[in-house]
Amino acid sequence: MNWLQNISITCFAASYVVVFILEISRVFFDISFRKYVRVGFAAAGLFAHTVFLVLQGKLVLGSTGLWLGSWFGWCLATAWILAIAYIWISARQPKSVIGLFLIPLILGLIGLGVGFGHENEFRSMKAKSTWSMVHGSALLLGTAIVALGFVFGVVYVVQSRRLKHKSPQPKYFRLPSLEWLQKSCEYSLIISTFLLAIGLVSGIAINWTHQADGTLLVGGIIAWSNPVIWSSGILFSWLLLVSIFNFCYQPSRQGRKVAYLVIASFLFLVLELAIVWWVGHATTSPESDVAHQTQIQRSLEERPSAVGRLKL
Amino acid sequence: MNLQVIGCSHHQSSVATREQLAFTQQQIKPFLNNYYSKFPNSEVVLLSTCNRTEFYTVANKPNSVPGKSELIEFIAEQRGIAATDINSEIFIHQDRQAVEHLFSVASSLDSMVVGEAQILSQVKQAYQLAVETNQTAALIHRVFQSAIRVARRISNETEIHTNRVSVPSVAIGVLAKQIFERLDNKKILILGAGEMAEETLRYAIHEGGKEFTIINRSIENAKELAEKFKGRVGDWSELEKELAAADLVISATGATKAVVTSDQFDRVAEIRKQKPIFILDLAVPRDFEQSISDRLNVYLYTLDDLQKECERNRQSRQSHYPQAQKIIHHEADQFFDEIQRRSSGSTIAQLKRQADDAKQLELDRLMKRLEGVSDKQKSEIEQSFNRLVNKILHPPLKSLQTESPQVSGGLLEALKKLFQLGE
Repeated sequence: MNWLQNISITCFAASYVVVFILEISRVFFDISFRKYVRVGFAAAGLFAHTVFLVLQGKLVLGSTGLWLGSWFGWCLATAWILAIAYIWISARQPKSVIGLFLIPLILGLIGLGVGFGHENEFRSMKAKSTWSMVHGSALLLGTAIVALGFVFGVVYVVQSRRLKHKSPQPKYFRLPSLEWLQKSCEYSLIISTFLLAIGLVSGIAINWTHQADGTLLVGGIIAWSNPVIWSSGILFSWLLLVSIFNFCYQPSRQGRKVAYLVIASFLFLVLELAIVWWVGHATTSPESDVAHQTQIQRSLEERPSAVGRLKL
Repeated sequence: MNLQVIGCSHHQSSVATREQLAFTQQQIKPFLNNYYSKFPNSEVVLLSTCNRTEFYTVANKPNSVPGKSELIEFIAEQRGIAATDINSEIFIHQDRQAVEHLFSVASSLDSMVVGEAQILSQVKQAYQLAVETNQTAALIHRVFQSAIRVARRISNETEIHTNRVSVPSVAIGVLAKQIFERLDNKKILILGAGEMAEETLRYAIHEGGKEFTIINRSIENAKELAEKFKGRVGDWSELEKELAAADLVISATGATKAVVTSDQFDRVAEIRKQKPIFILDLAVPRDFEQSISDRLNVYLYTLDDLQKECERNRQSRQSHYPQAQKIIHHEADQFFDEIQRRSSGSTIAQLKRQADDAKQLELDRLMKRLEGVSDKQKSEIEQSFNRLVNKILHPPLKSLQTESPQVSGGLLEALKKLFQLGE
């Protein structure tokens, strides 16, 4: 299976580009066999994407014990989840051109991943704990679902605006019904809140463990005043509030409002991720490693009980 | 094959003439039986819809189908009207024109609303009745089977049938589907119990609508409609309550002013809590005040909005007309080629058989006279006779196969006469 090793980002990115071109062509003319070609390319892209993540992106715990490897892997894994969602939507809503909105997001994430490159890999020691696995997985899934909700929200606004203004439906530009979009927005909001809550709680658990138990100090303690902590808290609070609001106040889950809420949630998430990236949360670089080790050493000297345990 | 169509349609005949010539399903069979009593040498199909009545007559032998005046006399007699009253409004098409006309009718290119789907089933029904009356109608089979195939081809290869063109079908089949994923779990409220309300309700039921309430000023009409479609009758005094619960509203009352005002709807909106609502205001004058459409999650469409959409769809259908016509011309060519091949095939076979018989007769006579001829020489002589026959027959048969149907038809007749071939 040597050929699998040769699969590169270009392979699946090119497949998605072809899918995007086919999606654009759907707006202009109709060919009966195009849907098979489109889904075929998407499936081929997804296969290559999966192989790449498994073999190159260190999706699974390998000898280095890296979880998703880096921001590069994180972006690619999010794009991978969205690619699965694209195929699911193609089956559920075969006539709608929702891919026109979703594929650019997938391509954008791949582009972003490539832009980050392999630098800033997530810390290996931290990745080995179960809490870290839960933390990473929940945040990854949550991110992908918020992004998906964003797409549903945007499509809802476009469709609702068109219907409200009685603009004629372009011949081949078909979008899902408002009811379907509204439900999808609602589900994405609820599921993403749940997943991000798990991510946040597990993150807190990791930090707590670090503070209480010296064995994991190599991962580093994050100060509660760290921007990552408070921005994550704000994001989670927002999602929680929106969900509670949604549950208690009926108009907020009707029509366009729920669409606006998921769009706002996505913007919050982008802001949150930007902060995480900016402060270098969960990543190491050669310079920071030295500083890190010094900090750990100092910390160990100050806490004899932890030293004992580490030596064991 | 001699085919002709005589009849009237919305293109050139008045409604009065169309009414005089219209046949109910029960009247068709007796008419066909009477036709066969009078014209036993031809086959007939009677197609009668609200927009046309057409008589397709077909026969193998020339001059076997009744002429225009003869047929008009017969039809007039059957309908109990004077032939002179309808004569000027009756059209006639023959042979290729008749085939193309039938193809156009079956494909709904000749319909009042181009692309309507009903006509094909009406053509099938007429064909079925004709076959039931005359089970040996081989020519009818050939013509109508081709027409049905052409109609299907046009439906598959063009988009002439794709866009809906009637107000109720656009309202429910196009717009409601863009708002609601399904109608079976939606509350449908119908204001009014007239024809438009009924037609739209019929579409809503066809698309899966199950739960509907009818409100009308005259409770009797509402009850009648509710009974017909197994719905519920609501009270006009509870209009606001019903509006608050509805997902889809079909309004087509005969009221002279708006039945739902903006203030009234504000009260409804308070209860609805911004739940999306799709309102189809099909009344003239409008039943809902226009400002209601500004409310959040209210999608209000008036008759004008829907008619614009219908017109766009109609134009879109028209744009596929040339493509469909091209298919019809091509299929008509194929149809006549096939007819030609079939009719010339038997003549060619007959001619070959006649030549073979003559050759064999002469060969046998020659062999009896010749003495001391070896088997090899006998075989040589036989092959030589075969070659001679083939060489004589080849040019006329080739001409018969390569010439156009019109020319080869004449050749076929000439061949039959020259070689004294039977039918």
